[in-house]
Amino acid sequence: MSFLAMAWRYLKFRRLVTFLTVVGIALGVALVCAVLALRHESERALSREAGLYDLVVGGKGSPLQLVLASVYHLDSPTGNLPYTDYGKLRRDPRVLWAAPMGLGDNYAGYRIVGTEAHFFDLPDRNGKPFFRLARGHIFEDRFEVVLGSHVAAASGLDIGDTFFGTHGLVDVPGGEVHRDFPYEVSGVLAPTSTAQDRAIFGTLASVWEIHETEDRLHSAIQGTALLSDEEEREVTSILARLKTPGLRLWMADEIRKRSDCIAAIPINEILRFQRGVIGPVQRALLAVAAAVVLVACLTVLTTLHQAAERRRRDVAILRSLGALRSEVAALVFTEGVLLTGAGIAFGLLLGHGGLALASSPIRDATGLVLHPWHMPKAEGIALGVMALCGAAASLFPAISSYRRTPIDDLHLTD
Amino acid sequence: MIRLHDVSLCLGNASRTSAVQFHLPAFEVAAGETVVLTGPSGCGKSTLLNLVASLRRADAGEVTVANVDLATLSPAQLDRHRGTHCGMVFQTFHLLAPFTAIENVTIGLRFGARKRDNTRRRADEVLRRVGLGDRLHARPHQLSVGERQRVAIARAIAGGAPILLADEPTGSLDPDTGREIFTLLQEVATEDGRTLLMVTHDPALAAELPRRLDCTGLIRSTIIAGGRDANA
Repeated sequence: MSFLAMAWRYLKFRRLVTFLTVVGIALGVALVCAVLALRHESERALSREAGLYDLVVGGKGSPLQLVLASVYHLDSPTGNLPYTDYGKLRRDPRVLWAAPMGLGDNYAGYRIVGTEAHFFDLPDRNGKPFFRLARGHIFEDRFEVVLGSHVAAASGLDIGDTFFGTHGLVDVPGGEVHRDFPYEVSGVLAPTSTAQDRAIFGTLASVWEIHETEDRLHSAIQGTALLSDEEEREVTSILARLKTPGLRLWMADEIRKRSDCIAAIPINEILRFQRGVIGPVQRALLAVAAAVVLVACLTVLTTLHQAAERRRRDVAILRSLGALRSEVAALVFTEGVLLTGAGIAFGLLLGHGGLALASSPIRDATGLVLHPWHMPKAEGIALGVMALCGAAASLFPAISSYRRTPIDDLHLTD
Repeated sequence: MIRLHDVSLCLGNASRTSAVQFHLPAFEVAAGETVVLTGPSGCGKSTLLNLVASLRRADAGEVTVANVDLATLSPAQLDRHRGTHCGMVFQTFHLLAPFTAIENVTIGLRFGARKRDNTRRRADEVLRRVGLGDRLHARPHQLSVGERQRVAIARAIAGGAPILLADEPTGSLDPDTGREIFTLLQEVATEDGRTLLMVTHDPALAAELPRRLDCTGLIRSTIIAGGRDANA
C-alpha cells in the first residue's frame, strides 16, 4: 500500500474534519482566484475597448462620464455639442476615423445609438474591421437599425422585425414610447465581446427626427418658434481614431481650449478609474482573501497537528512494524499535501465557476465580457504561494511525528 | 538468536538523588526456543521485550539479536532490523483503525517483510492460517477482540520475522479466547521454528511452557551517591 493510498485512507477515516478543512482552504482560494481573475479580465476588457478610440469629444462635464457613456454605454452623457464640430473633426488631417453618436432612446434598456454608416468601418488595432455583420445589412433607410449580438440574442429580434424606442437611456416603467416611429431591424452584428454587443445602432437622422418632431409639437403647443435648421443640430459625442496614438494629448489639449466641449482619452480615463476606484477595492478584497487563505493554512496546520496527536499511537505502531522516522513523517506530510491540493483544486473550480456564473449578469449590467476560465499569471503565482503555505503547514506535524519515540506512545489506547 | 549481557538502562527522568534502573546480568535464547517472561507489574518484562525489539536502546551492556549487536546500528537500521527480525503482538492489539484486516497485514509487510513480493497474497494466506479467511475485509471495530488479536498475530508472522515478541497477548481477552490465542502463538512459533518471547501474568499459561524467566527485580530504584541530599 503506497503512502498516497494510506494518507487518503486516513483522510477518509476522519471525513468530516477533512471536508471542513478542504472547504476552508477552498473558500480562501476561490476568493483569491475570483478577485485576481476578475481584476485581470476587467482590466483586459476595459482596456481593449478603451483602446479602440483615441479621443471622445463631448459637451462640458466629466471626462470619465463622457467615456463611460460613449464607449461603454453606461452613465449619462455630458452635454451635447454642435454637429458642425463633428464635420470639422472628421476633416482634420490627423483623424483616421470619426463617427458621431446621438443618444436619447432605448429599447428594453438597450441604448439606441444614432450614428452614420461609416461607424462600422472602425478598424481594430491590427487594421482589421472591428465590426462584422452576422446577418443582414447596415442600415440604409432612416429607421433601419443594426442590433448588437447580445441585444439580438436577449430580445429575440431578427432581420425584418420592428420595435419602438422608449424615451430615455434606461428602461423605466411608464416611459414615453415613440409609437409613431417604428424601427426595423436590417442587420445583426457578430459578437465583439465589448459593450457594443449591448447597443442598437440606427441613423443619426432618425434620432433627430423623433426628437425634433416632439420638440416641434411642444413648440406648437407653447406657441414658440419652430425647430432649428440642420446647421444647429447637435450630437451627444464624437468618437475618433487618430492616425497615430501619439497625437492624442496634442489634439485633446487643442479641443479642450475651445470653451464649449471637452476631449477625453478613453484609455487614460479608464486607467485612472481602475487605479483610483477599482484598484483600492480590489486590493481590499485581496487582503481579505489573503487573510482567508492564511486562516485556511492555519486550519491545515491545526487539523494535521491534531490528527498527528490523535495518531501518535498509530505512528508508534508503524514504527514498531519497522517504519522509519522519515517514512512516518512522509505519510503525515502526504496527508497535508493531499488536503492542501484538494482545497486548492476545489477553490480553483469554485472561484472560476462562480465567475462563470457571474459573467452573464456582469455582461448584462456593464457590457464587460469576461473569460471566466482564463487563469492570469498573478493567479498562478498566488496558487503557488498558497501551495507552498500548505506544504509549510504540513511540515510541522510531519516533523513532530519524525521526532517522536514510539515507546512513549505504544501504551496509548484507541 | 537473542543474547543480552550485563545490560543496564536508566528509565524515566533520573532525579539528582535517585534513578530507576533496569539491569539484566545475562539472558540468552536459542533459535526456535519459546520463553515466557513472568513477574509482577513494573518488574521489567516489557522493558526486556522492548530492548530485544530495539524500541529501547541499552545504556550499557550488549544486546545481540539475530547475530547483530544492536549498539552498532543507526536509528534507521534499528527500525529496519526490527521490521525484518521481530514480529510484535501487544496486549491491546494495536491495529490501525482505518484499515481492514488484510490491509493491516499488508501495511505490516510493507515495512517489515524480508521480501515484499505479492504482499496481498501473503496477507491473505496468513489471515487464513489464523482462521480469519472470512474476515479479510473487516475493519478492527467490526472484529471481536479475539479476532483482532488473530489479525495482530497474522501481521507479526506475515513478514517471516524469526522472532515473535508477545507482550501480554492474552491480557485483554476472556480466559477461553486467551487460551485460543496462547495456543495459536505456540503453534505458529513451533511450526515455523520461530523464537517466541511471551510476557504473561497468567501462571497457568506460563506453567505450560518449558522455559520461564522470572523478571522480578530487574527494575529497581538506585540512590545516587553525590546527589544534593547525600551531600547535605
